Amino acid sequence: MNAGLPELTPGMLVAGAVTAAAASLWLLLPRGTESRLARWLGLVLGAAAISGFIVTGRRLGGLGEEAVFLTVSLVAVVSGAATIVTRSPVYSAIWFALALSGVAGVLLVLGAQFLGVATIVVYAGAILVMFLFVLMLAQPSGLASYDRVSNEPLLSAVAGAVLLGLLSLSIGRMSADPTCCAVPAKAAAVSDAGAAATAVAADPLAADQVARLGGELFGRHLLAVEVAGVLLLVALIGAIAVVARGEAALEDDRRFFEGGVRR
Amino acid sequence: MSALLPSPATLAALVKIGLLVGGLMTAAAYLVLLERWIAAWVQDRRGPNRVGIPLTKIRLFGLGQPLADGLKIILKEDFTPRHVDRILYTTAPLVILAASLAIFAAIPFGSVLPPLGIPGLPDPVPFLVAPGLDVGVLWVFALSSIAVYGVLLGGWASNNKYGFLGGLRSSAQLVAYEIPLGLGLLGVVLAAGSLKLDAIMNAQAESGVWYALAQPLGFLVFMVASFAEAARLPFDLPEAEQELVGGYHTEYSGIKLLLFLVAEFLHMITAAFLIVIMFLGGWHLWGVTGSSQEVTWLGALARFAILTGKILAVIVFFMLVRWSWPRFRFDQLMNLAWKVMLPLGLANLVTVAAVEEFRPQLAAALGEAGGKWAAIGLPWVVFLVGWITAGILTPSGTDNTPVRTRGPLDVESDLLHHDDRRREPAGTP
Repeated sequence: MNAGLPELTPGMLVAGAVTAAAASLWLLLPRGTESRLARWLGLVLGAAAISGFIVTGRRLGGLGEEAVFLTVSLVAVVSGAATIVTRSPVYSAIWFALALSGVAGVLLVLGAQFLGVATIVVYAGAILVMFLFVLMLAQPSGLASYDRVSNEPLLSAVAGAVLLGLLSLSIGRMSADPTCCAVPAKAAAVSDAGAAATAVAADPLAADQVARLGGELFGRHLLAVEVAGVLLLVALIGAIAVVARGEAALEDDRRFFEGGVRR
Repeated sequence: MSALLPSPATLAALVKIGLLVGGLMTAAAYLVLLERWIAAWVQDRRGPNRVGIPLTKIRLFGLGQPLADGLKIILKEDFTPRHVDRILYTTAPLVILAASLAIFAAIPFGSVLPPLGIPGLPDPVPFLVAPGLDVGVLWVFALSSIAVYGVLLGGWASNNKYGFLGGLRSSAQLVAYEIPLGLGLLGVVLAAGSLKLDAIMNAQAESGVWYALAQPLGFLVFMVASFAEAARLPFDLPEAEQELVGGYHTEYSGIKLLLFLVAEFLHMITAAFLIVIMFLGGWHLWGVTGSSQEVTWLGALARFAILTGKILAVIVFFMLVRWSWPRFRFDQLMNLAWKVMLPLGLANLVTVAAVEEFRPQLAAALGEAGGKWAAIGLPWVVFLVGWITAGILTPSGTDNTPVRTRGPLDVESDLLHHDDRRREPAGTP
């Protein structure tokens, strides 16, 4: 692909792509002083960054699989960027939903079916709908001024780029190592739910992957599951306590105000 | 280039998708006709019975009506009001229709075909678009939660108070009833030990006990929740013509409105599919279909016909309910979800878990047949107890006295009239 530019190593390509991504994000983030030219430049740089990552990335194999993977990951990346670039909170939430669907698509293509579907159920289906509720009710007309500009666009773009660069370098090094990703059965021994999931994902169409994931969660990681359950219960009770206090709090307010009037 | 040609498995999936989408769209069109016939029958009048073959005088009991309806609504002006949010206004119907069609990737529409002997195809061929999907039930659940976006965005983007109220009400309803729906699902998943819908049908066929018989409480909860998820009467608050004009699609017309209406019908079809597959045995019927995976062509067709017949029966039930029940009020709707359906669903889940856990002990204590009957009878006892308890604790009578909750405005009025209020004892309205 880059036969004409023999001096270009994959490392340099990644570095260039990361820089381009940072510059594009900085140009695109709403800073309050943007021009049309800056936006176009940002879009071009973003496209360049994405194509740089596509060129350096590993190939999956089959043509169809590759096409589907590229499509869903492009959806995820582009809508992820659009989430932070958009000025309207409602549109932001919807771009975020699209980004989540893209991530779920990536997980499905890679064979982590449970994680993919759970992402949609939990995030896109429940949490984000609540967000949308609040956003739609809170801002019926126009936008608040603090929603029109982003705080510290430069710092956040650079921080994101550094994180992206570090992650892609380490993943690139890991996948270049032939001993790293070839032992799915042993990888499950790592004490981490994510690692267990990747181990299951390595064997995409195994008949019982959900059962294995469940066994792993309720066997090795039982304590973590129970603690998460207790945390949710506490949050639930807290929410009920806040709601139940409402009436009494109003009464308190009334007494306070009455006292103030009397004084 | 054989690498560029799609594999037989891909081709088979494409054929299934084509059959399914074509079948569903036709079914939706003709179910509208069926609904109008049933409405007419319930209301003791003649339904649509005029339109037959175009340009002739042949009437055919009105079977041409769906074609005329479809043409009419497609050819209508697709008017976009100026005050809407154009992008979301256009996206909303697409989202809801795409989500409701994509659900069917994981829903089997028959049993299996006999072996075809085509190389590259798995034998026997299942009646299912995505047979490798190990999380079928979750997939259905995930995509039906995506459908909320269509309603919510459609209502918001319309920039219309009726539309917005309908959208909010509807999404609150859909989110609330997802929980009893999930609890109903969980009991079945627990009993069948699989998240695949075809495996759930096979489990019922092998044991011969449909889950509606083994988990009556779960069946009730799931049925009510799926009525609410499909926004059918008595849960049709999203539209509520008398209060909200048309609810979230007040501002829609032409083909966009058609997309919303088709998606609504698809939700009902999905609900019927799920009820039949998970609780009514799917393609299984005692004494007619076997339970093995090896079928003849006749057996495969019989199973397909039985599944379709059951689904049609459930849909007719949906339609009869529509013309027999009044609509719930919003507070009644929420009370039903959180105070009745949620506890009943939990009770069902605990019962199913207990029965599945102690099945061997039951069989040991009461013998093989006795254990089986006990495993069916126990949930029925819980069902009756749960029903009666729910009936006593949350009576179905309607309390129409206005509810007074003190808000900030009351505090303000107290401030203004606090001299008057001090004379009255506290708590007087």
